[in-house]
Amino acid sequence: MTEFKLPELGENIDQGDLVRLMISPGASITEGQPVMELETDKAVVEVPSSVAGTVKEIRVKEGEKVKVGQVIFTVENGAGGKTKAAEAKAPAGKISDTPAQSVAQPKTESRSVERRAVAPQAAAIPATPGATEFRLPELGENIDQGDLVRLMISSGTKVSEGQPVMELETDKAVVEVPSSVSGVVKDVRVKEGQKVKVGQVIFTLEGGAAPQPERAKHAPVEHADGQHEARVAFQAAIRAEGKTEEQALPPDQPRPTAPMFAMPEQLGKVAGTEHREPVAAAPHVRRLARELGVDIHDVKGSGAGGRINEDDVKAHSKALLTSATAAAHAPGTYLEEPALPDFAKWGKIERVPIRGVRRKTAEHLRIAWNTVPHVTQQDKADITELEQLRARFAPKAEEAGGKMTVTAIALKVCASALKVFPQFNASIDMAKEEIIYKQYINIGVAVDTDRGLLVPVICEVDKKNIVELAAELTQLSKKARDKKLTPTEMEGGTFTITNLGGIGGTGFSPIVNHPEVAILGLSRSSMEPVWLSGKFEARRVLPLSLSYDHRLIDGADAARFLRWIAEAFEQPFLLSVQG
Amino acid sequence: MSDNPKPSIAVLGGGPGGYAAAFLAADLGMKVTLIDPEVNPGGVCLYRGCIPSKALLHVAKVIDESHQAKNWGIEYSDPKIDLPRLRSWKEGVVKKLTGGLGQLSKARSVQYIQGQAAFENSTTLRVAKTGGAEESLSFDRIIIATGSRPAIIPSLKLNSARVMDSTGALDLSEVPRSLLVVGGGYIGLELGTVYAALGSKVSVVEMLAGLLPGADRDLVLPLHKRVEKIFDSILLNTTVSAMKEEASGIRVTFEGQEIKEREKVFDKVLVSVGRKPNSEIPGLDKTQVQVGPRGFIQVNKQLQTHDPAIYAIGDVVGEPMLAHKASHEGRTAVEAIAGHKVAFEPNAIPAVVFTDPEIAWCGLTETQAQKENRQIKVARFPWAASGRAVTLDRPEGMTKLIFDPETERVLGVGIVGVGCGELIAEGVLAVEMAATATDVALSIHPHPTLSETLMESAEVFFGTSTHVYRPKPR
Repeated sequence: MTEFKLPELGENIDQGDLVRLMISPGASITEGQPVMELETDKAVVEVPSSVAGTVKEIRVKEGEKVKVGQVIFTVENGAGGKTKAAEAKAPAGKISDTPAQSVAQPKTESRSVERRAVAPQAAAIPATPGATEFRLPELGENIDQGDLVRLMISSGTKVSEGQPVMELETDKAVVEVPSSVSGVVKDVRVKEGQKVKVGQVIFTLEGGAAPQPERAKHAPVEHADGQHEARVAFQAAIRAEGKTEEQALPPDQPRPTAPMFAMPEQLGKVAGTEHREPVAAAPHVRRLARELGVDIHDVKGSGAGGRINEDDVKAHSKALLTSATAAAHAPGTYLEEPALPDFAKWGKIERVPIRGVRRKTAEHLRIAWNTVPHVTQQDKADITELEQLRARFAPKAEEAGGKMTVTAIALKVCASALKVFPQFNASIDMAKEEIIYKQYINIGVAVDTDRGLLVPVICEVDKKNIVELAAELTQLSKKARDKKLTPTEMEGGTFTITNLGGIGGTGFSPIVNHPEVAILGLSRSSMEPVWLSGKFEARRVLPLSLSYDHRLIDGADAARFLRWIAEAFEQPFLLSVQG
Repeated sequence: MSDNPKPSIAVLGGGPGGYAAAFLAADLGMKVTLIDPEVNPGGVCLYRGCIPSKALLHVAKVIDESHQAKNWGIEYSDPKIDLPRLRSWKEGVVKKLTGGLGQLSKARSVQYIQGQAAFENSTTLRVAKTGGAEESLSFDRIIIATGSRPAIIPSLKLNSARVMDSTGALDLSEVPRSLLVVGGGYIGLELGTVYAALGSKVSVVEMLAGLLPGADRDLVLPLHKRVEKIFDSILLNTTVSAMKEEASGIRVTFEGQEIKEREKVFDKVLVSVGRKPNSEIPGLDKTQVQVGPRGFIQVNKQLQTHDPAIYAIGDVVGEPMLAHKASHEGRTAVEAIAGHKVAFEPNAIPAVVFTDPEIAWCGLTETQAQKENRQIKVARFPWAASGRAVTLDRPEGMTKLIFDPETERVLGVGIVGVGCGELIAEGVLAVEMAATATDVALSIHPHPTLSETLMESAEVFFGTSTHVYRPKPR
C-alpha cells in the first residue's frame, strides 16, 4: 500500500483548500493524473498524483484545509513512481525557487526555460507500462457506477485506444466509454444489463501492451441515438439550467475557475494539466472565435491540414447557439417555474433532493406534458365473459410462470387494435414534419415500484399469445420491483398501458409517454347494472381511459380506437378473428 | 469604473511594450499617461538594447566584409576607428528614433511624464517627476511595463569600471585589448562580435556545453564555426569562480573540466548572464498584484494581474524577454481594457540572434519537439544550394521547416545565415496562418533571394527540391 501525500506546492505555501476531488475509492490512477484541485492563496492548482494504482481510501474531504505532507489517499498495488515523484509532483511555482544566481550557474534564463518544459512532460508519462486490462475509468463527479447498456466488443475483438467499447447508463446520461488500451480482447468480464463500477475490470487483453489505463483521454462521448432522445433532451435541459453541467464534466477537464482571473500561464503550465496545441487557424480566425465566445480548440477545421477558417468558426458558433436555444426551448424548460414562497414561514419543512428515478420521471413527464396536446377519451368495456375465460385459463398461465391478469389480456387487445389503427403506433417528428409509423408493436406497462414509476417494455406483443404475454409481464414486473430491470428493457416502446385498477378509481387521465402518441389507462372493474335485451343485468364493467396526442390523432379516431378495444374485451372472439 | 467606455489609463514604462500600449490606448480614445525616467519613450530597447547594438553590429559587419573582400580581389587597408564619431553616430540613431517616439506621443496627446512612479493603491500613482515636482494621480487602469535589467552574479560583483553589463558595453567608452564575455547567450555573442570587429581579443565563457543554450544545435553550428575564427577563445562547460581587479586588468578564475588556463587577466569583462524582471515597484504591495518566485508579475491571458485594475506586459511578466512580444502584449492588454475579447495566444514568437551569421527561429523547435516526444518531420535546405547565398560568399547558412507529419502543417521554422532575421517573418506568417508544406512550396518566391530557401525547404519535404537532390526514400 502506498500513500499519496500533498506535495510541496511552492514557496511559502504550506496548505490549501481542497476545492475538488477528482478521484474516488476504486478509481485507478496513473502518475501525473490530476487528482484534486487545491486553492492556495496564490492560485487554484491541480495537483497531479505521484503514485499509480487503485485508490483505496481517501483521507480528505472537499472543502477541507489540506497541509503539505498530509496523506490524501492510499493506493493498492501502487506502483509508486517514487524516484520520479520528486520532480513530477511539484505543481505550481516550485520550479523557480532555486537560487537564481550562483557561481556555478550563471545562465539563469536558459535553465529555467528547460526546467519549465520538464514538469508537464513528467506529468504526462504514465507510470504503469503495458496495461493488460481495461477498467472502467472515472466518468465524472459523483458517478461511481453505471448500467452496462451495450457491449461493443467481445472476446477476440481488436480494440484501439479511443475506440468506444461500451455504452453505459449512469443516472446522468448514457455515455459511450472509449478504451484507453489497445490490443486484442481476451476475456470480457462484464455482461450487458450488469451494473459496472468505476475501477472494475471490463476486459483483459491478449498479452496486449498499451499505455495509460484510466486517464480518460477521450472523454466519454454522449450517445445521441434516436433511442435515447428523451434522455438527451433531459441532459440538454439540465445544461440549459446550468446546474449540473460542472458535475458532468469528465475529471480530466480542468474546471473553469473564477472567470475574472484564469490561472496564470506560468502556473498552468507547471501544473502539467493543460497543454494546448497551437491551433491551425489564422490569427484573425482565432480573434473571431474569441469574439463569438467559441473555444477555437473545439472547432473542426475544414481546410488543408485541418485549417480552421472563418466559416468553420461561424458554423460551430451557430451549432452551439442552435443547440443552446433548442435546449432553452426544449419542452420542459421553456416554462420558467415561478419562484417558490418561503414555506418555512408557515411551519416546519424538510427538503429532500430529487434523485434517480424520481428526477427522470419528473423531467420526462414535464417534457411529455408540455409537448403533447392531451385529450382523454373515456369508455367502458363489459368484461363479464372475459372474466370467465380469464378464470378458466388462469391455471395455464400459472403453469407458464405468469398470472392471467387484465393487463396481460389488455396487452393482446391493444396489440390487435394498434394493427388496425396504425396511427396509434406512431411518433411525430416535428422537426422534419413527418409521422413515423412503426412496423413493430412493443408495449410498455407502467409498474409501481418503491423507487417510483418504471415502464418495462414487452416486445413484439402481436407475435405472442396471451399466456406468453402473462408470463413475460410477470417476470418483468418482478424484475422492476427487484431493481433488476436494465435500461434496454425500458426502451423501444410504441404504446403504453397503465393499470390502476388494483388500487381503485373509476377513471383518470394518463399522460402520454412521449414520444409515443397514446396511452391506455385501466381502472378498477366493478359490477354495474347494464341494460341488456330489455332489462338491467349485473355485469362486470371495466373503465377505460385513453389519452392521446391530438396533433396526430383526432377525437373521432380515438373514439373508434377505444370502442374497438372495448369490443375486443367484450367479445374475445374478435381477437382471434381480427387481431 | 468598468462601465466607463473610455477609461483613463497610465502606462508605467516607455519601452516597446509601454509605448505600443500607450499609443493604441490613445488611438482608441482613452486618456493616456505614459511615465518613464527617460526624456522620450523608447526604453531599454531603444536606449540600451536592440537599437544601439544593431547599429554597432552593422558597423562590425562592414569591417568584417572589408576583410573578406580580399577573397574577391578587393583589398582595403585596415580600418581606422574613430571611436567618438562611432559613438555619436550610434547616439544619433538612438536620438532620432526616441525623438520620433516623443513626437508620436505628442501627436496622440499622450501625457508623457518623465519620472518615477510608486503605487499608493490599485489605481493611484505617486509620480516623482524628474524636474522635482511630485503628485498623486488616479487612473481607471494601470499597465505595468517596467521591463527588465541585466542580471548580475552577486558573488562576482565587482565595483570596477572594467566590469560591464550590456549597458556599459554599448557605451563604447574604449576598445579594450582583451575582453571576456561571461555568458554565451545572444547578448554576449552580439556584443562580443562588435568588440571583436573593433579589434578586441574576445573570449567567451559559457557554463553549458554549447553557445546559445535552448536554440537548435544545427542552427548554432555554423555560427559557432564562424565565431571560433573571430574570437580568441570559446570556453564551454566552464564557469567563472572568481574575479579580482589588478593593476593590469581583471584576474578571472575559471572552473570546469576542460579548462587549460585556470586564471587569466582581461582588460575588461562583460557580464551577460540574462536579464531580471523589474517587478520591485515601490508600493506594489498596496495592490493585489502577485509576483511569482522568479520575479515575474503574474498575469492571465488578457495580461491582467490579480488586481483587476492593473495589467502588466513585456519582460516583467515572463519569457521570452523580447521587444516584439512586449508590443503585442501591450496592444492585447489595451484591447482587453477596451472591453474587446482578446487573449495573448500567439502560435509563434520569433527570436532573432543578430550575430554573423544571424540565427532566427519561430514556433516549434526541434529541441522542444524532442522534449515533448512529439512526432515531427524536418526539411532542411542548405544555403550552399542557394544562388543568392553563394553570390554573397556566405554559403554556410541553412533553412529548415518543421512539419506536422500528419497534416503537413508548418509548426516551426529555424534559419541560420546572413540576414536571416529578415526571413523569419515569413516563417511566422506560415505558422500563424497554419500554412501547409504545399502552401509554402506553391508560393512563388523571388529569384535570386535568400527567401527562396523557405520555398525550397518545403520542396525538400516532398523530395522535389529544384536545387537539392534528395529524393524521398521509397
